[in-house]
Amino acid sequence: MATIELRGLRRTFGSVVALDSLDLDVHSGEFVSLLGPSGCGKTTALRIVAGFEWPDAGEVLVNGRDVLGQPANKRNMGMVFQAYSLFPNMTAQHNVEFGLRVRKESHEKRAKRARELLELVGLGTAMDRYPRQLSGGQQQRVALARSLAIEPSVLLLDEPLSALDAKVRVQLREEVRRVQLELGITTLYVTHDQEEALSISDRVAVMSDGRVEQFGTPAQIYNGPRTAFVANFVGTMNRLEGTVVSSEDRVVRCGPLMLSVPDPTFNHRAGETVELFVRPEDISLELLSNGNKPAPGLFDGRVTSLTFLGPVTRVGLATDLGPLLADVSSAVALGLAADTVVAVKLDSTALRSIAR
Amino acid sequence: MAQVATVAETRPSSHRFRRARNRVPVWHLTWLVLAALVFIVPIYSVVQFSLAGVQPGQSPFHWYLTVFDDPMFRSSFWLSIQISLETVAVSLVLMVPTVFWVHLRLPGLRPVMDLISILPFVVPPIVLVVGLLPFLEKITWLFVRPEVLSLIYVIFALPFLYRALDAGLRAIDLRTLVEAAESLGAKLPRTLLRVILPNLRAAIIGGSLLTIAIAMGEYTVASLLEFSTFSVYTYTIGTSTAYEGVALSFISFIFVWGAMLGLYLLGRGGRNAAAVAITH
Repeated sequence: MATIELRGLRRTFGSVVALDSLDLDVHSGEFVSLLGPSGCGKTTALRIVAGFEWPDAGEVLVNGRDVLGQPANKRNMGMVFQAYSLFPNMTAQHNVEFGLRVRKESHEKRAKRARELLELVGLGTAMDRYPRQLSGGQQQRVALARSLAIEPSVLLLDEPLSALDAKVRVQLREEVRRVQLELGITTLYVTHDQEEALSISDRVAVMSDGRVEQFGTPAQIYNGPRTAFVANFVGTMNRLEGTVVSSEDRVVRCGPLMLSVPDPTFNHRAGETVELFVRPEDISLELLSNGNKPAPGLFDGRVTSLTFLGPVTRVGLATDLGPLLADVSSAVALGLAADTVVAVKLDSTALRSIAR
Repeated sequence: MAQVATVAETRPSSHRFRRARNRVPVWHLTWLVLAALVFIVPIYSVVQFSLAGVQPGQSPFHWYLTVFDDPMFRSSFWLSIQISLETVAVSLVLMVPTVFWVHLRLPGLRPVMDLISILPFVVPPIVLVVGLLPFLEKITWLFVRPEVLSLIYVIFALPFLYRALDAGLRAIDLRTLVEAAESLGAKLPRTLLRVILPNLRAAIIGGSLLTIAIAMGEYTVASLLEFSTFSVYTYTIGTSTAYEGVALSFISFIFVWGAMLGLYLLGRGGRNAAAVAITH
């Protein structure tokens, strides 16, 4: 098991800044995901750690030792690629054995290790199959087994599931996590899929424009986004714009509403314009009888759309605060239709403020 | 029971459907026959002519036997084979690492390589040789040896071998395969030998076959440099004895077909052979 420290990594491609002074600490045995949109620099960071790219400045420390002077084949890092990377001329077993063959391990040891790892990833019966005889999911499992065969100090995964269909993706990500926990290997995982990152990681680094916007546990990232980018990128958020009325009492005026913001990080002066974020699941709806006004603290909204998502239905609303999305139980949503007028209630304890 | 009856009832119609599906349209067959005739008629004519003009009591294969008995045939044939194999070896040693490196590390040079590779098409062989002669003449020990032909044929074969290797490398995810091998600890020579070359087998075989065909059939340069290769010998015989010349043409046909078949079989067995090689 190893620790990884990225210190001030900078990498430019012409005028494009791929990494801009990136810092990141990965603890021993930890599963950390680099999450971000295309072009945010997450793959570049991973490839620098792997030794396939070099930074213009900065350090990559593994167990406290700078590895930038080492070529990729000396770093002892297992890597699973986004593209199918199995050697087409070799069977699954020989693919897994490849790294051990390079290390001149005995035939018996190679065969034993390949069998163990292929069984670990559920492919004990497919050892003699060539990559062309395996499905995409199976190929990535073999690639995972192959990367683990060399007993790497660090496991690097570059969007390994993005080419797979949704169901296999969910199944395989759980398998990747199970294997990682079983072996306790320090893992750096690159993905643009927030659900994937949040579901399998110990910590997630949300990246944008070559920098880490926020680094924390999945719950911290989801429940306490610190920047507007994180709030917008991770999950679905409603954004409200308001003006601070009272700094001490954390009261913000949003349209006709005076909202009390419980966010302990609230640090804005009176008169300052702030953005408030609230998730759709923190908004509840009540049906209004004809002509009735909403109760105090609630405001009215008109249903503009209904999107069935299984257990919940996402309701689009037109309100005085602007368009909002609310997630309600699909059973409750049966009573709703377009243009239904409802009373809207914000869970004020879930409000987050971010300065503009 | 109802289900069984339904299956039984549908069987004849499904047979009819399959027959209809398998039926080849008449115009497809017509074009196929016409295309076959274009190839078969000249070959048939060659065979027929090579068996004609035989005196009573002589073997119908008289001209073939005469050719095989001629020591010049054997020496020119082996010389051409030797030159072909040398050309293939030199071409592969030069081109495989070059094209591999350009694809992997210098993709910006690919258009330049494309341009260079078509130069032998643009410059006529005679012009190329006349241009090369003053240079080759200075290397006297080489100039008098048939190996000089191999070096010139490497240039002639360049477009064909380059295209074959280029297509082969485009067909695989070269960068990912190389990086995967590197991450497992392999150095580049091992990666090339164990991972890339086995996956380029078809491209290498195809390119080699074309190189052999060029080296076996080249006449202009060999004649100019006064080497008695198979094509020079065939031409010489053809000008004196037409029957023998045609028999020689057919022998060269058979040789090229045999080489093609052999290389095709080698290519088909490639994957398994490569896998077996890895285990040892």
